[in-house]
Amino acid sequence: MTREELLSKKPLHVLEKIRENLERLNEKMEVMIELQKHGRKETPLIPDASLDVMTLLSMPDHLRKTAMTICRCGRATAEEVAEQTSRARAVESAYLNQLVIMGYLKKERKGRKAYFYADRDGQG
Amino acid sequence: MGKIIAVHSYKGGTGKTLLSVNLAATFAKLGKRVCLFDLDFRAPSLFAILKIDNAQCWLNDYLNGACDIKKVMIDLSSKIPGSGKFFAALANPGTEAIRDMSAKDRKWEMRALGRLLSLRNMLLNDQGFDYLIFDTSPGLQYSSINAIVTADFVVVATTGDRSDVDGTRRMLRELYNLFEKKTGLVINKVLDSTSKSNLDEMNTKVKDVYHVPMLGLVPCFCEILRAEGNLIFAQDKPNHPFTKILEEIAKRIEANQIN
Repeated sequence: MTREELLSKKPLHVLEKIRENLERLNEKMEVMIELQKHGRKETPLIPDASLDVMTLLSMPDHLRKTAMTICRCGRATAEEVAEQTSRARAVESAYLNQLVIMGYLKKERKGRKAYFYADRDGQG
Repeated sequence: MGKIIAVHSYKGGTGKTLLSVNLAATFAKLGKRVCLFDLDFRAPSLFAILKIDNAQCWLNDYLNGACDIKKVMIDLSSKIPGSGKFFAALANPGTEAIRDMSAKDRKWEMRALGRLLSLRNMLLNDQGFDYLIFDTSPGLQYSSINAIVTADFVVVATTGDRSDVDGTRRMLRELYNLFEKKTGLVINKVLDSTSKSNLDEMNTKVKDVYHVPMLGLVPCFCEILRAEGNLIFAQDKPNHPFTKILEEIAKRIEANQIN
């Protein structure tokens, strides 16, 4: 989209676009921070991680709430999780990405939306 | 929208199965669509109580992804008076099946949780069931915790036994609370339950010790022991005090009086 095209749209639309881009940047930064913290790349932090109930029990409270919501919904965006937990979308996004890095959840992009899910049909 | 109830306890022999079966029968008598699930894969017992020798498919098969839940559910509605529906999904009592279930790994348990969670959509949403009642194994076991995580609320059966009281307290704090589950307590095998002052004292004690609402207090009935598991009181003894207590518990659950 050229600058002229962008300016011709309503300011609200432009702001919305900026917000979306910032959110994507934010998500990427969260992933980078997590990776830097643990000094690892690509491979999940917990080998052979599975989101079973004993794992859920041993999780810190804030992550358990998010993980439980994904268990119940099957597949959800950060926004959908936030609706269920009554926490901010950005907070849920951070927790969800943390769970992805740890290897408990998988993330899949469809257009602008990122969906999170527990890979129940994976190997094992 | 229907509800999933898990009946659980810290120790064995607290009356989970007795409560589950009679609660399911009571709901069915009230005209509800109910399915009772035997999730006690280590010591299956519903098949014996409901006197079903052979099932086409077991709950084990459903959790293994080997068959549809409809093939597991046995229609027992004809045994219950009125227009309610009463189904049962049984655990395989064969030794081989018990051994197989106790050797499952974390990945399998994760998939089993997914299959239990999907019962909500399949049975409550699509089939219009009012209640799914999960009879579980005692203590902290995968199958029980899967049931608790899936349930909307947990009926916790306990007795006055010291080890049971301590364990139940810990479980309320460290299991149900962590999963943010609504719970209600049923104290079973209560002695001297006839006097009003005794009941009030018991109620206060429950609130102080467990910090959860009490769903019901079941006195020690010799008739229950004498029946040797051959009777479903809610169905066979409609005027027995135990049946009446179960009706009160069912009404409390219906009115969503537990939190």
